[in-house]
Amino acid sequence: MTEWAFDALLAGGLLGLAWQIVASRVLFRSVVLFIVFGLLMAVTWARLHAPDLALAEAAIGAGITGALLLSAYRAFLSRRGTDPGPPPVFPRWAAVGVAALVGALVGGIGWVVVGLEPPEQTAGREALAHLAISGVENPVTAVLLNFRSIDTLSEVVVLFVAFLAARVVAQDLAHAGPGDWLRASRNEPVLVQPLIAFIAPMTVLAAGYLLWSGEHQPGGAFQAGAVLAALGVLLRLTGRLRPTSEPSLAERLSLVGGVVLFSAIGLAGAGVASAVLAYPEGWEYELILLVETALTIAIALPLVLLFSGSGGLRREVR
Amino acid sequence: MSGVALPLSFFVPLLTALVVFVIGVRRAYGVILLGALTTLAVALYVAYAVAVGGPQVHYLGGWEPPLGVELYADGLSALMLAMTALVGAGVTLYAGPYLRGKGHDGERFWPLWLVQWATLNGTFLSADLFNLYVMLELLTLTAAPLAAMAGDRPSLAAAMRYLLLALLGSMAYLLGVALLYGGTGTLHLREAGELAGAEPYTAVAAALMTAGLFAKAAVFPLHIWLMPAHSNAPAPASAALSALVAKAGLYLVLRLWLWTFPALLSAPMGWLIGGLGAVAVVYGSVQALRQPRLKQVIAYSTIAQLGYLLLLLPLVALPAAAVSAWHGVVLHALAHGFAKAGAFLAAGNMIYCLGHDRLEGLRGVTPYLSVTLLALGLAFVSLMGLPPSGGFLAKWLLLEGALAAGQWFWGGVVLLGGLIAAAYSFRVLALAHAEVPHGYAEIRSPRRLPPAMEWAPLALVLLAYGMLLGGVPILELLDQGAPEGVR
Repeated sequence: MTEWAFDALLAGGLLGLAWQIVASRVLFRSVVLFIVFGLLMAVTWARLHAPDLALAEAAIGAGITGALLLSAYRAFLSRRGTDPGPPPVFPRWAAVGVAALVGALVGGIGWVVVGLEPPEQTAGREALAHLAISGVENPVTAVLLNFRSIDTLSEVVVLFVAFLAARVVAQDLAHAGPGDWLRASRNEPVLVQPLIAFIAPMTVLAAGYLLWSGEHQPGGAFQAGAVLAALGVLLRLTGRLRPTSEPSLAERLSLVGGVVLFSAIGLAGAGVASAVLAYPEGWEYELILLVETALTIAIALPLVLLFSGSGGLRREVR
Repeated sequence: MSGVALPLSFFVPLLTALVVFVIGVRRAYGVILLGALTTLAVALYVAYAVAVGGPQVHYLGGWEPPLGVELYADGLSALMLAMTALVGAGVTLYAGPYLRGKGHDGERFWPLWLVQWATLNGTFLSADLFNLYVMLELLTLTAAPLAAMAGDRPSLAAAMRYLLLALLGSMAYLLGVALLYGGTGTLHLREAGELAGAEPYTAVAAALMTAGLFAKAAVFPLHIWLMPAHSNAPAPASAALSALVAKAGLYLVLRLWLWTFPALLSAPMGWLIGGLGAVAVVYGSVQALRQPRLKQVIAYSTIAQLGYLLLLLPLVALPAAAVSAWHGVVLHALAHGFAKAGAFLAAGNMIYCLGHDRLEGLRGVTPYLSVTLLALGLAFVSLMGLPPSGGFLAKWLLLEGALAAGQWFWGGVVLLGGLIAAAYSFRVLALAHAEVPHGYAEIRSPRRLPPAMEWAPLALVLLAYGMLLGGVPILELLDQGAPEGVR
């Protein structure tokens, strides 16, 4: 009974929040509610016994996406000087029409899904059956880094391309991302420095733990990368990192290093193992950990740069 | 071992892009050319291997489907791969001087374009529905910034509109894939087809995936993003977007309906999709007739020409029409790729030399841009479908198929589209060859074209004519691994 009530609360909360996000006339309110929506979604994934998804949703869906939305909102403010105000009004008949169409679509899909008979043999069961020879113990990591590693490689390329796309449409640095860069000065609140001195190493530790534990329990490169990116956001906001218009050589290398290393190991697989993206026997665990470490950086850096709205970042000594 | 060429055609351009990004374009121009040539060589080798040894397969990671992702090259994939490589090489040669001359940002263009090339190859080779979703995402995310490259308000708005519609398309496609996996337990393109049959969930999945791909391929009525996005992009990007990226969406539509959902392809379904194609042919051509700028004419012509590809679906179920229609449609995809890329690059030459592409301002341009105008003229001839172009061969086969099965309606659409194409082509060519109006000073070409820019469009267009000579081997290659009904 309690479980049922909890599920009903979750479903009702998600729907209510979604409605509020869409219906709200104040953009800022929608953004904040969207972050809450992400957190509730993470709880929902956990409830559906998908802890990997829950972690990713909390870190990326609620955390980094929320920061990006707030950063975009701040860019709006500095352009217009005020809240962008209510969005243009959509004609009511069109809204009703679209809603009816989408409702019918969702209803139709729901009806089909309810009548769906789950097949006996699925790729997911295959993956579980082959887990022992994948080199890792977490089935999600086995699928992402071994059985279907081309998808993961391409997704990290997606992040790189998103960074390039943001550079194409980039504004000048003064209006980029979360607003003008302010040097961390003597006037900053007295607790900022000690807090950062505490949080920064803890975040690196947490990211490292997530990365390492992805081998046998929920976690992995995407979650670790998002946590590292959160540290970058914090340092950018407190003026410890200064935006630059172009990435330095080290930043360019970190942006593409993960994919290059992954591809190199993958192509070497054609010679030393059976196929491209195959790991040589007995080396699966070591190579997967190496690739994931490089990917973590290649995931974290574009996320921070997207938030910062700049081509690169430079360390600023106070 | 020849199977390794399949992953290489994805990894070579991808790694070239990453290297170029790290060391910077100024020092990496040689790397770009080397990467493009290697990709071309790999693609042609794949085509050769398929022609000699039949369909090629490579299991990535050594895992067979349904566990892993399969790369699969049959005749259709090999031909699309080779066409992409030839067009890509032309675009690469052309883009260097064009970007330098127009002051575009090469540091962004080259990585984006090379990743896009890798993704196109991945799209043509992947036999995994989810991997195809990732490839489609990458295509969209590389295409939108390329369309926004000019950085002014119209191109930004166009790119944004494209991005939003294409992302909506991705969501629909992904939803369809999820449904199909839920019902069959596999993501493999052909396996899912064998397991699925004609059940309610496959019908919904097919509808969602087709609608999503229609948004990406600008099929009527989801075409509204194409004209502004393709006409505002820099010329080499326009060529790649129109000749390759939009076509990749339609390639997948045909791949899905012939390999995964043949059980669902009833006559009314064929008429519905073919009907949308027919509307696109007429609508796009009529709109092209009304545009004031050259690139807008060529962009609307893309909407029309892509519509022809959908005419396969109503014809493929009729035994009398199937083989000819199949051959005609694939040849059309190839010929259109060459001709459209050539036409956009030629339009780029006009912009490069004159600073604009307004049709009214093209009067008297003939003596200065004769090679460019020859390329443009020949491209239009192929788009109209006149002999001896590849476009003629394609439309002839399509028409033959339609008439052999007594499908006068679809034959009429092919003829009508060709007629309106002739109208908009001659409108452009007549203005370009017209005398300078009395009282105006003779216009002078303010800039000389670099040789690569002058000859690249012509070379691409001539490939569309070379198809007539290579018709028999091309069709033999196409038969490798073709589905039952169209061999």
